[in-house]
Amino acid sequence: MVVEKVLQVKDLNISFHTFSGEVKAIRGVNFELFKGETLAIVGESGSGKSVTTKSIMRLLPEHNSEIKSGQILFDGKDLTKLKDKEMQKIRGKDISMIFQDPMTSLNPTMKIANQIMEPLIKHQNMSKHAAKERAVELLKLVGIPKPEIRVNQYPHQFSGGMRQRVVIAIALACNPKILIADEPTTALDVTIQAQILELMKDLQKKIDTSIIFITHDLGVVANVADRVAVMYGGKIVEIGTADEIFYNPQHPYTWGLISSMPDMETDDEELFSIPGTPPDLLDPPKGDAFAPRNPYVMKIDLEQEPPFFKVSDTHYAATWLLHPDAPKVEPPDAVKRRQNQYVGTGVGVGAGTFPGNKEGK
Amino acid sequence: MAEQKKLLEIKGLKQYFNEGKANEVKAVDNVSFDIFKGEVMGLVGESGCGKSTTGRTIIRLYDATGGEVLYDGVDVHGRKSKKQLKEFNRKMQMIFQDPYASLNPRLKIADVIAEGIDIHGLAKSKEDRMNQVYELLETVGLNREHANRYPHEFSGGQRQRIGIARALAVQPEFIIADEPISALDVSIQAQVVNLMKKLQKEKELTYLFIAHDLSMVKYISDRIGVMYFGKMVELAPADELYRNPFHPYTQSLLSAIPAPDPIAERTRRRKSYDPASHNYQDNESVEFREVTPGHFVLCSEREFKQYQVQSKH
Repeated sequence: MVVEKVLQVKDLNISFHTFSGEVKAIRGVNFELFKGETLAIVGESGSGKSVTTKSIMRLLPEHNSEIKSGQILFDGKDLTKLKDKEMQKIRGKDISMIFQDPMTSLNPTMKIANQIMEPLIKHQNMSKHAAKERAVELLKLVGIPKPEIRVNQYPHQFSGGMRQRVVIAIALACNPKILIADEPTTALDVTIQAQILELMKDLQKKIDTSIIFITHDLGVVANVADRVAVMYGGKIVEIGTADEIFYNPQHPYTWGLISSMPDMETDDEELFSIPGTPPDLLDPPKGDAFAPRNPYVMKIDLEQEPPFFKVSDTHYAATWLLHPDAPKVEPPDAVKRRQNQYVGTGVGVGAGTFPGNKEGK
Repeated sequence: MAEQKKLLEIKGLKQYFNEGKANEVKAVDNVSFDIFKGEVMGLVGESGCGKSTTGRTIIRLYDATGGEVLYDGVDVHGRKSKKQLKEFNRKMQMIFQDPYASLNPRLKIADVIAEGIDIHGLAKSKEDRMNQVYELLETVGLNREHANRYPHEFSGGQRQRIGIARALAVQPEFIIADEPISALDVSIQAQVVNLMKKLQKEKELTYLFIAHDLSMVKYISDRIGVMYFGKMVELAPADELYRNPFHPYTQSLLSAIPAPDPIAERTRRRKSYDPASHNYQDNESVEFREVTPGHFVLCSEREFKQYQVQSKH
């Protein structure tokens, strides 16, 4: 595939300094974002998905967070090294963000028009008049009825779904190259969520932007994502195309995530649940951070961190189970059902045929 | 279900806020259903559809505007002596959505859990009280050392377990769980749902499970009711509801749930619901009718016949 890379995150390490010590929130994260794709980042709270994206936007609090090492390459520049002034030119123009809670992400004292006009006037030097016209257009684009009237209203006059549409309109005002959506539909009802997801996919095609989509809802991931990165304990533990992650997952944590959601066939059997709680990043475990909760734990998991093993050209997983010398284990039933389904569709290689090539550490 | 004994009968329940004023809200509007002993009844719908209000009115956190709730044949909202009320409160317990807000931050876990035991005088001695607390903690998968800690020392999933232990402390028969897992992470949700299911079997509990996560509701519930703008629009056994939804709103709700399955998602067609599509005439009476045994739909006579024809295919 010759696809243009729009963003590259290289060996990112971020720590927070707290009263109880240094919290190593991000511990060596690497990923790339290609033009026009949607990359979903999943993981439980505290796994580092929001911290990763906030660091791309440089929105982490300065007084207690620290980028220990690593690079975030965008447009030939390393975002971690930019001065505030330079970053302001990128933020909201080339990279913009949609937040989880539409109730708090709009300014309640400003009319919708002014909030949409702000980035247009700042980044595109539009006149007030032109910006207002564009604001009406944008509202129309995100499917708000009677935009000429609505543009002069305040946020409290909009419902949750409508506010999120306004937030999307603001984020897309300058046709950003990257859109970061941090749980944009978590606060919304399923019916409204479906509308917003459709809208985002539709707009993505129109302006050819790349999206980083953070969520913990695997249903939403299946709906929007081209590729999926699974985060655990401040690291990406598995990354691949949506089909690879859903139908041929390799990491025991991904297995746990996928089988803890009921599907149409799980009826009376007990739901698979991942025992225990996420690791304490004040003092990250020595080996694999998932080891204490891993039913397939091996001795090496407690001593050495697993490197990424290659499953296919697009699919990598960090688990010792993929090492050629590792014993073969049976994934949970829910995962096996999925693998069979995957083989049945003939989309790709079947389960158990992965070469297990060892990648350098 | 082997036994079909009605534990709860809800008849024409109404809960209006600001009654008689211009801004009257009919949060629950003429809702009727039964809950059988030992079953899990799921209640789903969008925010603002009245599902939580229904739960809260059943347990008498609100006084109903109209209608009645019969628990074992006794009207919950009727006049009661203090003693009767206390006994009733013991039988019916509630688990709340937000495990952060529902535990008193100034009480130790032992006291949070034992509050009900104290009120109802269920412990013979101090020692007995603590033993009950320890036992409850172990039942919900925590350990006895946790009794002396405060709520802030626990994670969301652990707090929800404490909320469950607190509800179980008074040996209730019926538990209303109002979005008990919505605030939890996916991996923790499964833990809590498994726990609730296990406890239900062991203690023969009856649940009213309120949620907006439809896949979890299907998994835990025997029957499911769908609410829309204060009205119950469809009620059916869980599998039946997912296989043959009749009401267009139920269809639209089911079509909106994203499935964790990319291939299915690519071909998904979403239906939208327009209340005007019913095209009800003035002379039509819209009622809750039984289309097939156990499957009720809010519909007019005309739609009723149409649904019956559909059900034969």
